[in-house]
Amino acid sequence: MSDGETGRRGALKHLIVVGSAAIGCAVAAPAAVFIAAPVKSGGGDRAARWVKTIRFETLREGEPRKVAIVDDEQDAWTLSRGVELGSVWLVRRGEQVVAFSAVCPHLGCAVNALADGSFGCPCHTSTFDAAGKKTGGPTPRDMDPMATKIDAGFVAVDFRKFRIGTNDREAIG
Amino acid sequence: MSGSSSRLLGRLDAWLDERIGHREILKHALDEPVIGGARWAYVFGSALTAVFLIQVVTGLLLMTVYAPSATTAWASVHYVQYTLSAGWIIRGLHHFGSQAMVVLLGAHIFQVAVFGAYRKPREMNWYLGLALMALTLGFSLTGYLLPWDQKGYWATRVATNIAGTSPVIGGWLQQLMQGGPEYGNLTLTRFYALHVGLLPLTLFALLGAHVALFRKHGVTPSHRADLTKVDRFFPRQLGMDLVAAMAVLCVTFLLALREHGAPLDAPADPASDYPARPEWYFLPLFQLLKYFHGPMEIVGTMGIPAIAAGYLVLLPLLDKAKTTALRDRTKYLAPLFAGFAGVIVLLVLAKNDDAHDVAFQRGRAVADLRAATANALAMNGVPAEGPLPMLAHDPELRGHALFAKSCAGCHVLGDLGDPKKSSAPVLDGWGTEAWVASMMDDPDADDRFARTPFKGSMPSMLRPPADRKPDDPPFKPMVDADVKAVAVFLASQSDGASPPVSGPPEKAQRGPMRDPAQLKQGEAIVTTRCTTCHLWKGEGDDSGQDDAPELSQWGTGAWASAQIANPSTKATYREEALDPKLKRHMPRFDEDLAAADIELLGRWVSAHAHGRTLH
Repeated sequence: MSDGETGRRGALKHLIVVGSAAIGCAVAAPAAVFIAAPVKSGGGDRAARWVKTIRFETLREGEPRKVAIVDDEQDAWTLSRGVELGSVWLVRRGEQVVAFSAVCPHLGCAVNALADGSFGCPCHTSTFDAAGKKTGGPTPRDMDPMATKIDAGFVAVDFRKFRIGTNDREAIG
Repeated sequence: MSGSSSRLLGRLDAWLDERIGHREILKHALDEPVIGGARWAYVFGSALTAVFLIQVVTGLLLMTVYAPSATTAWASVHYVQYTLSAGWIIRGLHHFGSQAMVVLLGAHIFQVAVFGAYRKPREMNWYLGLALMALTLGFSLTGYLLPWDQKGYWATRVATNIAGTSPVIGGWLQQLMQGGPEYGNLTLTRFYALHVGLLPLTLFALLGAHVALFRKHGVTPSHRADLTKVDRFFPRQLGMDLVAAMAVLCVTFLLALREHGAPLDAPADPASDYPARPEWYFLPLFQLLKYFHGPMEIVGTMGIPAIAAGYLVLLPLLDKAKTTALRDRTKYLAPLFAGFAGVIVLLVLAKNDDAHDVAFQRGRAVADLRAATANALAMNGVPAEGPLPMLAHDPELRGHALFAKSCAGCHVLGDLGDPKKSSAPVLDGWGTEAWVASMMDDPDADDRFARTPFKGSMPSMLRPPADRKPDDPPFKPMVDADVKAVAVFLASQSDGASPPVSGPPEKAQRGPMRDPAQLKQGEAIVTTRCTTCHLWKGEGDDSGQDDAPELSQWGTGAWASAQIANPSTKATYREEALDPKLKRHMPRFDEDLAAADIELLGRWVSAHAHGRTLH
């Protein structure tokens, strides 16, 4: 084999490697974008989403009440109107209302209210006091509070969901 | 690459080879001898394999989003096409990749036939190739339905209906394919299972056997080739194969780019009129159906395709020529060349027929409007009940359909109605200044009252009456400023009326700026002089004797709705409008159409007459 021919073979081999890589990348790049498209970073800085719940006067001082959050929901392509998105615990403090997510920040079970006005998780026995502070069990943080306001006699909640299992609170979605 | 890292890779390669022996496998694969030398003619098989692998990758990606049910399929494909990042690229590659496979399949068969690669001892590989072709067409057919849009739905229904006409087992076969007597969820899930499960598994198995047999027998060089020349598969042939694969991928990318993905028609609507056409590579079969009628139909649907398939099966058994020289095999290959030519002729005929078919073009235009509306509406999300209720609530489409059904037989508006056959005023511009001015000039113009029972009812304000007698008082045409003032004032009746039902307030139509002095002048003329015959807010000089219509609110959706519901009220054309002596008068529709539809239709007519839409 002449030197020139060997050189051409070598060049061809390199071209084949480059060509294969080009085809691979041409498909892999949009594939990577596509597959990662639903992943969203952060959600804590989105605008408030005020959802009207129950009449303020139906709440009694210090007695937690679980209310459903009903609003429109966009799930990928499906737009549902007036569906239950989750629940929050409302507690009246004088003329104010505090709201806690009913989702346990430990691993996401539904938190119950106990007879004394404190909260407990039925799954892994995390406990919280009436102000949502953790008092025992494996939970890494306090219950997740949400902003509330009284709007024309109704309690409105700025409904959010939070990342589960982390020490620091992080709103998602 | 630096020396040390390449040495490290080499050691890793050796370590791995000691354990799995991959070097020998690779060597065996790459050192495959290519008798007669590498050729561009051999690239089609490997290009097909490359495109198939891309179909597998893009198909798996689409599976991560696609939801096969009658209520979600279209919406999920819309989501891929218009919302998800890179979704349109992936869908476009998959869509045009499937078309590339069909084209490459034709080229591959042609090459194999011309080179005589179907001949002894390669018959079994020819048969495997035919089976792979059938599978590829099966992929196309099943995949076409999956978006559950009008195009796929209606084209696939034709295909399953053809299966239903098979002798003896037809009905059973059709129901087996459809998952019951009707199209629905089970049709989609069945086609989906075939498309992503059974067909790929079968294709993988047969393709493996096809490649293995090819390796066993090697290429079939042309009879003129120098058989002493032997290339190795790597690098020359592989290099050519790779260039071909890159070219195909480039074309696929360009097509996807041009279409911004792939077309998505309106969601499948079993109740609609749709000008169904199959994908272009099935158009020759579609065209064939036009030539066989009644009991002969089965000749076109199954007879001719069966003969073609039978010929392909028999070809290796028939061809006993001594060499692979083409001149020795012309008689065996003549049907193949004739078949290819026939397919191309039928394809051109089908395209040509459609290009000259006015009804098809019109049906296509309606379908395109529906598709554009559906795709725009779905950007805000599709209700859980599916895309059809979403479309049913769209005022623009509903108005268009109602006008086409109830009004276009007599009236013309936009692309609806036939100007030659219309027997009622053309509604384009109804309610505008130009319309009023033209009525005052020539109310019996061809596109106004000429073909209506009201011909001759309204006098021109600018021309003397034709039946004017010598002793009549002299005719004095209305001065231009008065005509203009009346036109402005009457056109202002519909200012700000019929706002859109949805959409931001800034899109609400406001009338153009009108000159207050002109409006005042016009109002004075209308309320004093026009009321000689016309009504103004229910009052007129003739105390209800005449048939000239009410002018207040004229041009608004409300006026139009009132007229549609019942022309024979004081709100529009008054009691005599339904008098039998007025031949071909406008009928009342309040007995045929729901009140909500009449209200919508009135708004739609007013908006479109003014050159607007309800969006």
